[in-house]
Amino acid sequence: MLFNNSSFIVLEKQLDASALRQQVIANNIANANTPGFKKSEVSFNDQLRAALDTKRIHLQANSPRHITARHPLHNIAPLVKTTEDTIMTYGQNNVDTEQEMVNLAANTILYNAASRMLGGKFTTMGHIIRGGK
Amino acid sequence: MALFESFSISSSGMTANRLWLDTISNNIANMNSTGRPGDPAQQPYRRQTPVFSAAVQQYLLNKNPGRGGPKTAGVKVTGILHDGAPPQLVHDPSHPHADPETGYVAYPNINVLNEMVNMLTATRAYEANVTALNSAKEMALAALEIGR
Repeated sequence: MLFNNSSFIVLEKQLDASALRQQVIANNIANANTPGFKKSEVSFNDQLRAALDTKRIHLQANSPRHITARHPLHNIAPLVKTTEDTIMTYGQNNVDTEQEMVNLAANTILYNAASRMLGGKFTTMGHIIRGGK
Repeated sequence: MALFESFSISSSGMTANRLWLDTISNNIANMNSTGRPGDPAQQPYRRQTPVFSAAVQQYLLNKNPGRGGPKTAGVKVTGILHDGAPPQLVHDPSHPHADPETGYVAYPNINVLNEMVNMLTATRAYEANVTALNSAKEMALAALEIGR
């Protein structure tokens, strides 16, 4: 229960998705001059929004003998998709370096924010365990 | 860890762009490396261009089958092409490489303007890879701070 609440899971999944997105952006930048290369993007927000949708009913357990379903947040995973239908430069390449740089900066900030929030949660928990001392 | 993959992807991009810069320097350095026209043993220098292609990583294909995951991981240089453009003929009978009958010398067909523009492209692409590497490093260090 201690580490199983939704904000821990969300932050952990966000860190995983941002690390994957960093990898995909690095790959796009490395191939910015490769003829015929098509860029990829990571989508995560839609899956997260769907999993956080409170209108859906989840199995709740208030006794250890109840059957529990895994938290729906455990099942979300970032999705990598390749954009095939655009052309940016000669040689059919569609990497827009400026856009990749902006995505890279945004992704780094997002990762830092998530890791700082996770760190803050652990610090708070440490305070609670020590009884506020 | 995904961020270490990202390091190697960015470094492959840096290696490829530095190799491109090397070939550009070589082209500029050899822009006056002459040859004798029509003599296969004494050909002028020919312009070199690296061929980039996206490196496929089997591990990523296996990890994300059917998800359309990142099918490539970094860039690799599959070869260096020699330009097949015909040499420029310059009339200079006193040159040691001059054709004894016509007096023409074969100069490599290198356009300095072209090389300079390619040099800018390669430099900027290298810098973009450095930026990507730096932000991956920043992220890895931020992850170390969790729980401090």
